[in-house]
Amino acid sequence: MEKNKAFDGVWVFGDYRDYFQNRVTLQLIAKGKELAKELDKGLTTVVLGDQVYHYAMEYVAHGADVVVAGEDPGLKEYQVETYTAVLARWIQAFQPQVLLSGATSFGREFFPRLAKRLHTGLSADCVALDVDNKTGLLVQTTPSFGGELLAEVVTPNHRPQMATVHPGVFRELPHDSRALGCIIYPEIGPLPEIRLKRIRTRPQLTHDIRLEDAPVVVAGGRGLGSKELFGLLSELAALLRGDVGATRPAVRAGWAEEDRLLGQTGKNVRPKLLISIGTSGALQYTTGIQGAETIIAINRDPNAPIFKLADLGLVGDAATVLPLLLEALRKRV
Amino acid sequence: MEIVVCIKQVPDVPTVRMDRERMTIIREGVESVINPLDYVAMEAALELRQKVGGQVRVITMGPPQSEVALREALAVGADRAILLTDPAFAGADTLATSHVLARAIERLDPFPDMVLCGMQTTDSDTGHIGPQIAEELGLPQVCGVNEIHVEGKDLVVKRLSDGFLDTIRVALPTLLTVTKGLCPVRDLPLGALEAAFSTKDVLRWSIDDLDLRKDEVGFEGSATRVRRLRIPLPRGNGEVVEGSPETLVNHLLRRLEALSILDEEDGKE
Ligand SMILES: Cc1cc2nc3c(=O)[nH]c(=O)nc-3n(C[C@H](O)[C@H](O)[C@H](O)COP(=O)(O)OP(=O)(O)OC[C@H]3O[C@@H](n4cnc5c(N)ncnc54)[C@H](O)[C@@H]3O)c2cc1C
Ligand SMILES: Nc1ncnc2c1ncn2[C@@H]1O[C@H](COP(=O)(O)O)[C@@H](O)[C@H]1O
Repeated sequence: MEKNKAFDGVWVFGDYRDYFQNRVTLQLIAKGKELAKELDKGLTTVVLGDQVYHYAMEYVAHGADVVVAGEDPGLKEYQVETYTAVLARWIQAFQPQVLLSGATSFGREFFPRLAKRLHTGLSADCVALDVDNKTGLLVQTTPSFGGELLAEVVTPNHRPQMATVHPGVFRELPHDSRALGCIIYPEIGPLPEIRLKRIRTRPQLTHDIRLEDAPVVVAGGRGLGSKELFGLLSELAALLRGDVGATRPAVRAGWAEEDRLLGQTGKNVRPKLLISIGTSGALQYTTGIQGAETIIAINRDPNAPIFKLADLGLVGDAATVLPLLLEALRKRV
Repeated sequence: MEIVVCIKQVPDVPTVRMDRERMTIIREGVESVINPLDYVAMEAALELRQKVGGQVRVITMGPPQSEVALREALAVGADRAILLTDPAFAGADTLATSHVLARAIERLDPFPDMVLCGMQTTDSDTGHIGPQIAEELGLPQVCGVNEIHVEGKDLVVKRLSDGFLDTIRVALPTLLTVTKGLCPVRDLPLGALEAAFSTKDVLRWSIDDLDLRKDEVGFEGSATRVRRLRIPLPRGNGEVVEGSPETLVNHLLRRLEALSILDEEDGKE
């Protein structure tokens, strides 16, 4: 590997705070590596904290050619202003072409500030990234109007080309403990005064974290007709090691919590498998699920629009099919 | 407390329709509203004014018709409204938009103790403007706030971020972006809108009033370019099966097997 190629290629911000954020980082390393190859460059992950060596090693095992690491007690807490100062300094020194972060809450408040300091463009919550083979520019596909419209954005003259990326859009590479990479510790420089003091912070575990990361999602709609029938989805999800999502009418009816809502005004999921039961397939809902690798739909109306989207459509009554399916699955698992 | 609220006029999402042939937004019949979270920011500002006194100023960058949004803000109780409008401001991305807004806020007298933005808009949905104004003005920022308390010269705010409920102390002046749940939004008092049109003035600032150059604002001052707009395409038609419940379940099970959903654990060597 030519090291110098790696430093000014594609950079990924390494967010390791929690399982979910770490997964997003790994997904971006995998995608960033693909992009870097097209640019004939390497993939760099940048990671900040007080002790980050083991994260750096994990990023190498998942595909990073280089890890740019900063260790300092002052970097332990994720603080927008401190992180902006350090990263801006390093970006100016190493001049990467592309800089990516997961569209986590932190990513979405950190990257705008960083982009502004670097005087460059930023696109939000991208659902696709490509390299334009004529211009070599990063094509950043970002949703607007709640996903009704996709805009392909480029940053022609400013560097780096920055984007935050929707979690779950890309797939991580398998862990390879024999992978080689280089870890460097550039000088951190002075840290700004911390103006924002966390008095208290406590976990508020919502399902969304698991839902957005689940390999299988079972989603139910108005067609389930009752809280009892909808309740069976939890068992189905458990049997398939997945999680439960809902359409708006199901949330409105009180069958599911608001944080399980899928679609334009809810979550986007990209599971391996999505089973959609008793949902008509309204566009506002399907924008949230069309990233699924496989969609199976159950609806008693053969003309339901959801069948246009589904890879496998089952025309039938959920009230009979669902209990039967559960019975069959219980025997197997 | 001197508060400035940044508001944006956005198309009312339920009235937005897409032209799938031409891949564009159908403009006819689309109503404009104040971005819902900016409404929340405004209500929060008015509530704080009631508690600790001071002034609430609202500001927007947009085409001349954005004045309607400012009039509505005056009607619900804002003290002053500033419209940043100039043909040169058109086509701005968040870098250029935040520059114009920051420059305008910088020129306000007195300088605000608190700048409020919505956490996101419903049309562009970036959430960039707040942090970018904070950066240009050198203010600290807290995003996604759903509770604000004033404690002397500090604010204590709460926000949910990546699954954690943070309670944060930050000194004034500061910038906050706000989200749902901060305060309920009241209906406009009857007749208030007409009153706001006749009695209160909206200040207008152009590129010259702000001493800005053409190449730092609008399309010219933007770092990003929209290359193409697409409407997400539906996926190809799959297999649709009719039959007895047993047949359906068998089809489903076979598909689960094909996807190795059922044998994930045994499947590993
Ligand atoms: C601005 C805006 C934003 C929106 N955002 C969202 C969003 O984010 N998420 C969202 O979900 N919705 C959203 N909606 C609402 C959306 O337009 C649809 O109304 C909603 O998705 C429909 O939900 P549904 O499929 O559960 O219900 P329905 O459309 O009522 O469909 C029920 C389906 O169940 C079938 N069915 C009935 N009984 C049975 C049975 N016994 N067995 C099997 N099938 C049965 C019926 O044939 C029908 O197809 C939004 C709407 C607007 C205007
Ligand atoms: N043109 C504008 N004029 C005034 N405020 C704006 C403008 N655009 C965005 N904002 C503010 O920035 C917030 C976030 O917007 P956005 O970054 O576009 O999602 C909005 O809720 C507004 O408070």
